[in-house]
Amino acid sequence: MNIISITMIGIVTAVLSLSIRRYNGEISLIIAIAGCVIIFLSVLLNLSSVFETVKSILATASVRTEYIVILLKAVGICFLTEFACDCCNDAGQRALAGNVSLAGKILVLVTAIPLYEDILNTVLSLTGGAV
Amino acid sequence: MDVDMIFKIAAIGIIVAVLNQLLIRSGREEQAMLTTLAGLIVVLSMLVTQISSLFTSIKSLFGL
Repeated sequence: MNIISITMIGIVTAVLSLSIRRYNGEISLIIAIAGCVIIFLSVLLNLSSVFETVKSILATASVRTEYIVILLKAVGICFLTEFACDCCNDAGQRALAGNVSLAGKILVLVTAIPLYEDILNTVLSLTGGAV
Repeated sequence: MDVDMIFKIAAIGIIVAVLNQLLIRSGREEQAMLTTLAGLIVVLSMLVTQISSLFTSIKSLFGL
């Protein structure tokens, strides 16, 4: 899906959502979320080729595959968190949005902890075990 | 790509709003409330399938 249709979907969804808000607030929010989901889905299908390229580049650079998996997981958690956070903000629930954002940050940290351990082990092996 | 879903949801919203006004004018507040609730549930069930497909595609793409 090209950028023109995506922008048009966005504008049409915004107008529809705004025109229904007066009569039916919940459905207005749901229209907005449906537009977000559809745009997100259409973009994600293009993203897989990008990931294949990144994986092949990192494989030629002989980076270990675990690092690539962790990187992709962190990016996915960020995308999902951003999506949920924006939906909560749209619904006017800023506290929920803040909590979802916090959960995303913590889960990215938890996902990346093996990397920190690897860095620490590398530092320890460089210093010969002496701290 | 199912952009039609946005228009479907908008149509359901307009129909439910009209029915709501009609039922309130004829003095049936409970039925109006139930109509709004039914419309909301229908639209939510449509959205939930879409969101689940989004989540499965994200899961398969990012290896979560």
